[in-house]
Amino acid sequence: MTDDATTYPGREPLARRMTADAWDRVIGRFGFAVDRRIEGSAHAFAVRSSVPHGTITAIDSNEAKTVPGVLAVITGPDVRVDPSVATTHGETRQDQPVLAFDKVRYVGEPVALVVAETRTAAEDAAALVDVEIAELDLVVDHELAGQPGAPVLHEAWPDNECGTWTLRHGDAEAAMARAEVVHRATYRSPAANHAPMEPHVATAAWLPDGRLEVWTSTQAPYPVRRRLAEIFGLAEDRVRVCVDPLGGGFGSKLDLRLEALVALGSRAVRRPVRMELRRDEVFVTSAKHAATVTITTGADRDGTLRARIVDIVYNGGAYALSTPRSTRTGMIRSPGPYAIPDVLCRVVGRYTNTVPAGPFRGAMTGQVCWAHESATDELAALLGMDPLELRMRNVLRDGDLFATGEAMHGMRYRELVDAAAKGVDWDADAGPTRPELARGKGMAVVLKSTRTPSRSEAHIVLDATGRVTVRTSTVEMGQGAHASMAQLAAARLEMPADDVLVSTIDTHRTPFDTTTSSSRSTLTMGTAVERAADDLRRRIDELATAGRPGTAAPTHSNGAVTVALPEPTVLRYEDLLAGAGLDELVGTGCYQSPPGAGEMDPETTQGMHTVSWHQGAVAVEVEVDVETGRVRVLRAHGASFAGRAVDERRIRKQTEGGMIFGLGQVLMEEVVYDDGQVMNPNLSDYQIPSILDAPERVGSTVLTDPDPDAHPHGVGENTVPPMAPAIANAICAATGVRIRDLPLTPEKVLRAIHEPAVRTP
Amino acid sequence: MVTFVRCATAADAVAAVRDGDGTAKFVGGGTALVLLLQMRLVQVDTLVGVRTIGDVPGWSGIEQRGNVLWIGGGVTLAEVAGSALVRGYAPSLARAASVVGNVRVRNAATLAGNIAEADYASDPPAVLVSLDASVVVHDGARQRAVLARDVFTDFYTTSLDESDLVIGVAVPLVDGSVSAYRKFASRSMEDRPCVGVAVSARFEDGAVGALEVVIGAVSGTPQRWPEITERAWGRRLAAPLMATIADRYADAVDPIADIRGSAWYRREMVRVNVRRALEEVAASADD
Ligand SMILES: Cc1cc2nc3c(=O)[nH]c(=O)nc-3n(C[C@H](O)[C@H](O)[C@H](O)COP(=O)(O)OP(=O)(O)OC[C@H]3O[C@@H](n4cnc5c(N)ncnc54)[C@H](O)[C@@H]3O)c2cc1C
Repeated sequence: MTDDATTYPGREPLARRMTADAWDRVIGRFGFAVDRRIEGSAHAFAVRSSVPHGTITAIDSNEAKTVPGVLAVITGPDVRVDPSVATTHGETRQDQPVLAFDKVRYVGEPVALVVAETRTAAEDAAALVDVEIAELDLVVDHELAGQPGAPVLHEAWPDNECGTWTLRHGDAEAAMARAEVVHRATYRSPAANHAPMEPHVATAAWLPDGRLEVWTSTQAPYPVRRRLAEIFGLAEDRVRVCVDPLGGGFGSKLDLRLEALVALGSRAVRRPVRMELRRDEVFVTSAKHAATVTITTGADRDGTLRARIVDIVYNGGAYALSTPRSTRTGMIRSPGPYAIPDVLCRVVGRYTNTVPAGPFRGAMTGQVCWAHESATDELAALLGMDPLELRMRNVLRDGDLFATGEAMHGMRYRELVDAAAKGVDWDADAGPTRPELARGKGMAVVLKSTRTPSRSEAHIVLDATGRVTVRTSTVEMGQGAHASMAQLAAARLEMPADDVLVSTIDTHRTPFDTTTSSSRSTLTMGTAVERAADDLRRRIDELATAGRPGTAAPTHSNGAVTVALPEPTVLRYEDLLAGAGLDELVGTGCYQSPPGAGEMDPETTQGMHTVSWHQGAVAVEVEVDVETGRVRVLRAHGASFAGRAVDERRIRKQTEGGMIFGLGQVLMEEVVYDDGQVMNPNLSDYQIPSILDAPERVGSTVLTDPDPDAHPHGVGENTVPPMAPAIANAICAATGVRIRDLPLTPEKVLRAIHEPAVRTP
Repeated sequence: MVTFVRCATAADAVAAVRDGDGTAKFVGGGTALVLLLQMRLVQVDTLVGVRTIGDVPGWSGIEQRGNVLWIGGGVTLAEVAGSALVRGYAPSLARAASVVGNVRVRNAATLAGNIAEADYASDPPAVLVSLDASVVVHDGARQRAVLARDVFTDFYTTSLDESDLVIGVAVPLVDGSVSAYRKFASRSMEDRPCVGVAVSARFEDGAVGALEVVIGAVSGTPQRWPEITERAWGRRLAAPLMATIADRYADAVDPIADIRGSAWYRREMVRVNVRRALEEVAASADD
């Protein structure tokens, strides 16, 4: 096998036009990762544990091997004794085997891999692999997992500990003791599934010289490359990762997923091997962290916040993934966007016998925003204040110190709160409705940070035909990132954005990027693209004025420059290249977070946490049927600060779409476990909102920074976390009942209405 | 490998399923069957396509036949929902068909397939029972009509033979009757029902001449308690009577618990939705 296009006839040219992809998507012509076919591929299907916690005693694959078309069956114990494969791997802890070999730790954990000529044959054979497991006690609940005597998942972590951090800012305990009013409550949220429309998919092929090529639906091409290199003991540049646009990710495609499995399979059968998950497998492949958050707030009678103590337990699932580090991120965001002089936060992640948890749009923040924004309204009720006024009084303003000790700048919360409130006519009466229907309004704010440190690099290539292509490893997954990159490059080169192509991802050609996550791409990759465009423009100018020192810098328009020679002369880019005998001209750009950014004191978590804080607010109006408990969101208005806006329409889509996405986790989404088994691993039993569930009126306000040198702010997640508390607050305004565990099902609402004990005064 | 055969006659279709001896199944819109095949809950060698059947009069039509409304075995739920005849004569059935799943499902799914699937969390079955409809089947030799209330026998189980082809549904048309269907979904609006309530009634001089209340999705089969509804005969359907019937139904049901609601919640939803459905028919009778 070679890596040229003739071996892989399905492979498209590197560059493709991204700005006008909407039409292709609508008519089904758009090429997604799942559409990629590598000629000659065999198909893999995983044999998965049906036991949540146990010791593997025997695996018998003899019968499976007799199924016609089966090429290989690879088991965990096979891999275990293979010295060329790392026994365990992991982003933060080396705790996860590619295939389980001694223990299984969750239902759905891959134990063996069947490779066959067809997917059906692989699936048929997988059902015949007999895995004997001696069952162990299991623990699903993260609170129980931390108790003495709880079943232990990993010997190296005897308390199931999976990320422990403390944030100490001032003396919150003393300040709490002095506070005039104290409110304390516990808020819970369940595991959820990202439910991307496109399942995870990957194909791997080993080249004869021992290089590995992988096509995969990942949000993290470079981390996947590094992890594969580590697992198979290769130099990183011996691994090539290619990524087509994804049909949704939402965080579920960030960690290593199928890549090591297909690589194992391909090595065994010496052919490309493809694996595409079934929907029920998607459900056991990634999840949102379930969490329990206890929040204590001290305030003056006039509503000034004095102290906040937050205790968080995240359910990490069976393997660490990013949990040991992301628990800290969640903790940092947990006090909310408020100026509070004394803050204490403690977080712990716990291993449990559940699907390993990872980032979920609004990563680690939905869980804590649910707590701090419900608590803000509960406190307002205690104080007899309008919750909007309580927020206005306490939200962060420029110069305020945040809980990390940082002085905050560019804080727009008061405007965001105001805009969200106006969007639902906060002060207007609900208007007449039927007696069994109660209406109320609620609001919530959120503070998110972007991943720091981080780095993005971009190349912009001008080729001999005059075509301009952005080479970036930012993954297009429906968010419009590639359109934004084209637009940013085009603006610097003064050409139409539609004339700028954006490459698909190939780590052999598109340069480094940390990940497509954390609402970071427009800031980090956008900056790199702008710098690359500036660099390319400078190189073009040099060509145009070569040999004529003192010539004024040319002007650019539509892929051509105008140079004073001394008569103004128009030279097309391709002619400039031809004249200089060049095949291409490449501009490069890089974004790197400043030194020290993201480094926090390990004891107190004080320091500069992030290069960019994301600010958002949501207000909703709901109608509760008090006889059934059913909640209808009538209106939702999201407000987001975008910094320098690249494209307002796309910002609105993120802001408004985020609310509809978030609505699901509020009203209906929950991965249900019974005895360690996921009970609803399909989209009939696990429901996500349909268009009929969307609010009748969805609006948005985009605040921007008019300074042309301001940097763009991430807007991909700002309205997801606040949906839950905004809706719960609105339900409380409508009915007087306060619910503290998600999702807010009609049954919970009705029960609360029937049981006056849980009513707030 | 699964083979797909398209049948031109009812007898061919029945023969194909019968000859398959458990390995062949009828397929209408395929909306239920394909999911079962994907989840490997059903294994077949042959899918017997019935949409192409040409020898059954009214196979793909909705028509009035004297005092019966006929809905053919090839008719989709979208067609049922959109039919002026169904909307006029059996509004509860049009309503139930219109709230099944989503538009993509309704465009492909047939009423016959919905009946044969006999999923407890379905909308049409309770309505068919409340309208005293019959399911007409062809067994290869002859046709017979089975009352809808005798068709559904348990979760995913009917009294029909595997090779009985549903060729249509016959809904008796009763002068002056009114009907309503309330679907209560506890999660997405496109979810299957948590509780469904079908009511059909006839009023004489402002008093109840006949009343049928059937509950769907609360247990294996549609549930009805004639001894409760019969007490309303001859009386005005006023608020206290509606509340009483609703309470009696709530007491009488023995609801299952599933992901769409606990037994307690289902009982409460029966109470609320029976009352609301009765209010609906009372209001439509007043019009
Ligand atoms: C996403 C989704 C949501 C849904 N939501 C709802 C809902 O809210 N409410 C609801 O009531 N239903 C719901 N359903 C179920 C849907 O109504 C049924 O799948 C559909 O009606 C089945 O009809 P079909 O023609 O597609 O049947 P098929 O899938 O073709 O067949 C279903 C069964 O019926 C048998 N069969 C088919 N035709 C005949 C015939 N003529 N004679 C005898 N046997 C036959 C088949 O052998 C098979 O066993 C939903 C389904 C989906 C996929």
